[in-house]
Amino acid sequence: ADIISTVEFNYSGDLLATGDKGGRVVIFQREQENKSRPHSRGEYNVYSTFQSHEAEFDYLKSLEIEEKINKIRWLPQQNAAHFLLSTNDKTIKLWKISERDKRAEGYNLKDEDGRLRDPFTITALRVPILKPMDLMVEASPRRIFANAHTYHINSISVNSDHETYLSADDLRINLWHLEITDRSFNIVDIKPANMEELTEVITAAEFHPHHCNVFVYSSSKGTIRLCDMRSSALCDRHSKFFEEPEDPSSRSFFSEIISSISDVKFSHSGRYMMTRDYLSVKVWDLNMENRPVETYQVHEYLRSKLCSLYENDCIFDKFECCWNGSDSAIMTGSYNNFFRMFDRNTRRDITLEASRESSKPRAILKPRKVCTGGKRKKDEISVDSLDFNKKILHTAWHPMENIIAVAATNNLYIFQDKIN
Amino acid sequence: MEFKLEAHRIVSISLGKIYSARGQRGGLKLHKNLLVSLVLRSARQVYLSEPGCPPEPACGPPEEEPPPPGTAAWPAGEETTIPPPPQDEAARGGPRVPGAECQGPRPRRCCCGCSCCCAAAAGGEENRPDCATATGVAATLPPPHCPRKRSAGERVQAGSPVKKPRREVEEEPPPPPPDEQEDMETGNVASLISIFGSSFSGLLSKEPKGRRRPPLDGGESVAATSAEAAAEPGQICCDEPVLRTLNPWSTAIVAF
Repeated sequence: ADIISTVEFNYSGDLLATGDKGGRVVIFQREQENKSRPHSRGEYNVYSTFQSHEAEFDYLKSLEIEEKINKIRWLPQQNAAHFLLSTNDKTIKLWKISERDKRAEGYNLKDEDGRLRDPFTITALRVPILKPMDLMVEASPRRIFANAHTYHINSISVNSDHETYLSADDLRINLWHLEITDRSFNIVDIKPANMEELTEVITAAEFHPHHCNVFVYSSSKGTIRLCDMRSSALCDRHSKFFEEPEDPSSRSFFSEIISSISDVKFSHSGRYMMTRDYLSVKVWDLNMENRPVETYQVHEYLRSKLCSLYENDCIFDKFECCWNGSDSAIMTGSYNNFFRMFDRNTRRDITLEASRESSKPRAILKPRKVCTGGKRKKDEISVDSLDFNKKILHTAWHPMENIIAVAATNNLYIFQDKIN
Repeated sequence: MEFKLEAHRIVSISLGKIYSARGQRGGLKLHKNLLVSLVLRSARQVYLSEPGCPPEPACGPPEEEPPPPGTAAWPAGEETTIPPPPQDEAARGGPRVPGAECQGPRPRRCCCGCSCCCAAAAGGEENRPDCATATGVAATLPPPHCPRKRSAGERVQAGSPVKKPRREVEEEPPPPPPDEQEDMETGNVASLISIFGSSFSGLLSKEPKGRRRPPLDGGESVAATSAEAAAEPGQICCDEPVLRTLNPWSTAIVAF
């Protein structure tokens, strides 16, 4: 199994897609509730697996293009088939996942195994009939959106109009129509005329969940810009600019790196957005640009270790964050296979671990605690014993229920609320 | 003082990252390299802004040092006293200041192991950090020479070794301008830049200092980028504070 690089529930929560470093997509489907087996309420089982992207070679630049899936985004379902967009560094693909449970039999011109029959042996005609077969799930690429990005794609986001979507790389954001593959519109371009003057890059972008003209993008400098596509064709000038002033007392060599935003997500309501930087998660009210309304420390105990984390490259890890369906809670990952959840109303937070030892099926997860100094209590883990190779970068929350998917390197954990 | 040490360490780490980034699959990551270059700049600023510190027992920090009086006799003396340059970096910490080995992580050392220049540095002028060590390419490079020789007029020569950067790990000795603070990098800066720059095959950034060099042909066309990037440090070093070499080098980063 390969390292999971993205996790995403679809709009109904029945399907969960994961992408990995090897370019594969694995889709899980929730089992229907079965009255005779109440304990298997909504287990997720593999539904479909396919190779989405392959490694390519850019001959012009002598660079290999990785097949790693950076993002998957589902399209809202419009018919029996499911559609999703998956992207690697350079190419976005629209996949159709459909079920086939019937097969036509009784062809005239070919055998049951597909071989052509000699026409001279055909003496009578028959009408093929549909017969049930074992369910087969097929994934086929319907559109390939290529050659629009010079830099590495970091985000895709489907618009609420269900017709367009955006793709963002380090310096540009493009707008696509789902039906049109040979053309896209550039809507944001922050590439300076002189690359020596480059000071920030785009790190994430997302469309507003309800207003199809609004999108945001975050930067490596810790700022978020909200843009309105009605104002101009090229949205280089933002409509709103969100930035929290830096606290001068905490300045260090690494202040810039840790303020870089790794993920931005609108709330389901569309009223708020959440950003993740290295040490914290911030919730912003779209109506207030000068500071976030809520800030949650994910692993503040790492602040004194930034130099070591810089050395071992962990400081560049890009953590994602997600909202629950009602926007009352947020979740994000940390190290040592820990992930954190914050309840926005009660201000309570919890740290849980995704590991085989602590996750026997139906076992209840025990809250974990990191000891930040002084005497270590029993069951606490000290900062120095944290395993920085076990990082949870990708998490997803079911759109309606309290079911979460947590990717721990190459394992996927699915947790749900305690069943009473 | 501690900040200076830490800054120095951070600079070395950052350079190492940039160096190793060149070979990674999928091409250079602009975001990460931008962040590394920002850290590098901060660390460099801190390093430069800290007041000059007294020399450490083992390896003194870069100081403003006038060229030693024995410059005139240098070339002659050097030929006889320099041991064959050790072929790997570890040896850079090797026999230098007699009895005062620098064991620290500081890469800033007399790379060619010329005990001569360090002997002359008895009074605290140690660590000309910039003697060229030709790692494995002693034959092709001019004999490693200390910066004094360079500042004595061999600036042009600074450019030529640069043209071979892709195949060799060579160190461009940035000589410390007399009244400026010394380079805190190892001479690796230029070699890293050159090797790093070579990954931008075919993409040349705007010529930063107006010193455009026509692309070399054949196999060296890629080296042109690196040469260009590395030429800056090699040649600028003679004229400006060495640490400004980092500027064209960050040009190389963003040229992609």
